Amino acid sequence: MPLITTSRRRFLALGAAGLSASAFGLRAAQAQSAVALQLSWLHSVQFGGSYIAQSKGYWRDLGLEVALNPGGPNAPVEPPVVSGQALVGISAADYTAAAVANGAPFRIIGVAMQKNPFAIASLPGNPVNSPADLVGKKIGMALANTPVLQALCTLNGVDITQIEIVPTQYDAAPLVSGQVDCLLCWQTDLPVAMTMQGVDNMTMLMADHGYALHSQTYIATTDALANRRADLVALMKGEIMGWQDYEADTAAAAQLTVDMFPDAGLDLATQVLQAERQAPLMFSDLTRANGFGWFTDETVAANIETLALLGRSVTPDLWDRSLLEEAHAA
Amino acid sequence: MIARAGAGPRALPGWVWRWGALLAALALWEAAGQATAGRFLIAGPSEIADYLWTNAGLVGRALAVTLQAATAGFLLGNLAAMALACVALLVPRMAWLISALALLVFCLPLVATGPILRVLYGAGTGPQITLAALAVYYTTYLPLLVGLRAAPASWFDLVHTYGQGRMAELLRIRIHAAVPYLVSGLQIAAPAAFLGAMVGEFTGAERGMGVLTIRAIGALDVPGTWALATVASGVSIMSYLALGALGRRLGTHPRDLLLAPPQATRRPPAARRALGRLGRAVGLIIVVLLLWQGLMEGFGLNPFFAKRPADVWAFLVTVPEAAANRALLLGAFAQTMVLAVPGYLAGLALGAMLAAGVVLVPGLGAAVLPVAIALRSVPIVTTAPLLVLALGRGATGTITIVAVMIFFPTLVACLTGLRQTPGQVMDLFATYAAPRRQRLLLAQVPAMLPAFFAAARMAVPAALLAATTAEWLATGIGMGSLMALTASTSSYAMLWAAIVLLASTAMLAYAGVELLERRVLRVYASEQRQP
Repeated sequence: MPLITTSRRRFLALGAAGLSASAFGLRAAQAQSAVALQLSWLHSVQFGGSYIAQSKGYWRDLGLEVALNPGGPNAPVEPPVVSGQALVGISAADYTAAAVANGAPFRIIGVAMQKNPFAIASLPGNPVNSPADLVGKKIGMALANTPVLQALCTLNGVDITQIEIVPTQYDAAPLVSGQVDCLLCWQTDLPVAMTMQGVDNMTMLMADHGYALHSQTYIATTDALANRRADLVALMKGEIMGWQDYEADTAAAAQLTVDMFPDAGLDLATQVLQAERQAPLMFSDLTRANGFGWFTDETVAANIETLALLGRSVTPDLWDRSLLEEAHAA
Repeated sequence: MIARAGAGPRALPGWVWRWGALLAALALWEAAGQATAGRFLIAGPSEIADYLWTNAGLVGRALAVTLQAATAGFLLGNLAAMALACVALLVPRMAWLISALALLVFCLPLVATGPILRVLYGAGTGPQITLAALAVYYTTYLPLLVGLRAAPASWFDLVHTYGQGRMAELLRIRIHAAVPYLVSGLQIAAPAAFLGAMVGEFTGAERGMGVLTIRAIGALDVPGTWALATVASGVSIMSYLALGALGRRLGTHPRDLLLAPPQATRRPPAARRALGRLGRAVGLIIVVLLLWQGLMEGFGLNPFFAKRPADVWAFLVTVPEAAANRALLLGAFAQTMVLAVPGYLAGLALGAMLAAGVVLVPGLGAAVLPVAIALRSVPIVTTAPLLVLALGRGATGTITIVAVMIFFPTLVACLTGLRQTPGQVMDLFATYAAPRRQRLLLAQVPAMLPAFFAAARMAVPAALLAATTAEWLATGIGMGSLMALTASTSSYAMLWAAIVLLASTAMLAYAGVELLERRVLRVYASEQRQP
């Protein structure tokens, strides 16, 4: 990524200069601090706001040089953050709660997806429009997600034993080829893939049926919160600015993603659709009133209830809004 | 090539078989693609060609990236194998320990080592290269060790006559004797390196064949998925053939087996042998535990994910949830073994029977071998989901995947063994005009047994790899799924417990096959027991 390779020269040229000039839209004059943001999946418009922050130099102007480390199906997200390789990781409230239960000193410092992206996808001939429709259906999903389905059932008074769970890979083919009646998947990936392939489909967003769980959450260690506060605030500030731009023009974010990662095999039309579908999950009245990434005591309380259904017991101090407040104020 | 007159209808020239089989396979494939159109299952050759034509640049760049990592891993892994084999030979007292540790590292499940390597290396291609190296070094080390010993005793006598020592033995005799074995090891290693590099990309990479494959599967892009699998297998097949050609160029046909009278060494009493074995096992466990703890401390790995032996012990034995943890682990283990064992046996049987068939029906080899190479070369990470989709999520799919992974190395090893039958023995049978089948059963099969057992040993880790990969990527049950799941639950103690269980199982099964091998070979092929 050529965007972050010039730091050394800039360091030499500008290192001696003093005050930060970022308020005037000029480049930051202090030495660049190198940090990594560990993404939770392969590069795609899912992280479009971060790419905007990168390409428009938002982080650079704040004195930060950010490496965006891709994830993948077998990629660790929480370990690099624990070990300090990445300053911040993109996790989800349930993953974070599990890591904390296993001894990771994490705090959730921001919430990119206000609404959880989990959805039940089905075909119009045999639709799942409400949790009650799941009764008697075959659902394709990773067995690991059984607690997620269980929570949805509990929230909506559905007997999970009336649903047949078929273990599948994360792939829409079992639904399209008729092996299952519906899929547990993200609203923004497999349904988008089906639409792009000309397969008519419908989704039921679990967040609309009581499944309140923050997703694409920013996590950092308590150690980083204590000792690398300035970097964390700068990182979040860049994210906020990037995602504001994303909201204003999702298609441009999709175009940027495809341009930045020409070897990732991304299809522009797919990315445009994914970017569009993702926006309502990330931006709400809450974020419009308080800014990107926001959370409140109420949303945290709702998350704690859902986490309890998933067998995770956490307290509100897992969430720490102070960095976000600083980033929005700055 | 011209058909020899009067050889009967079976002796069609090889190229007829080869091209006939290839065309028939392509036609069947295309028909299957057309028949299942709209079901997102199979892409035929025409769709694949179309995809590759449209995306030539993208696939080419991805291939270059993955190939580079695979090549680096291939070189490093094989150099490590050569170094290990030489050390094992020069320091015979350490040989068992080196072999055991080498096997142990080879038995570590990819699903688990991948993320750990990613944390160790950070961003970049480190995990891809390391996984490729890990996937190849053992399949080179083992035949190399055999090859380094495969020289007549008289040659060594000659070296000793000149007052030379072990180093001269190594340089003047062993290395030359080992070349054919090395080449066959390298041939098997080439597809494995490519698979290792692709799995490495699953741990977080920006580009490469693995990245494109994940993307294509997620996007329901069936032509893309099949095109990438085809390119990956094509590369593997070509590297296999190129290495074979290189071997022939070097004039390194594996030699005929050396006929030697059974060694009349006095075996120590059974009780002492058992005691010796036990001592080694205990020694190995101590060394492994020390290395495990020492490496983690040495690298300063965070105990959140890098669990030490004591953590795993606590997780399985002393914590309050230990019983539940054990139940979960053993339940998944049972699910895996129920599929891995039949697949393992089916793969071995298929490999050995095909080898026999190829010897009985000369033209068959030309038809079967390319298909076998192709099947084996398609990276399991792309075939597993496709096969499960085609064969269903029941036992058949996973068993087939395991069998496919195993039968090809077995076939190759058995063919080599069959063809190595000592000329004197075959001459004897020819003198009596013994029918082909009798020759096979009485002369060639016994000659094949050592190679068969070597393949059966190597197939143990391969079977577990195949079964857990299928579970991870397709069926979502068993140990493969359990290990993949730990990433979302941060239950790294479970991951390490799973590693210990799988690696121990592979080691024990390997030792079991070895024991059986010794028993059988003592009776059927006493003259060729490897030292």
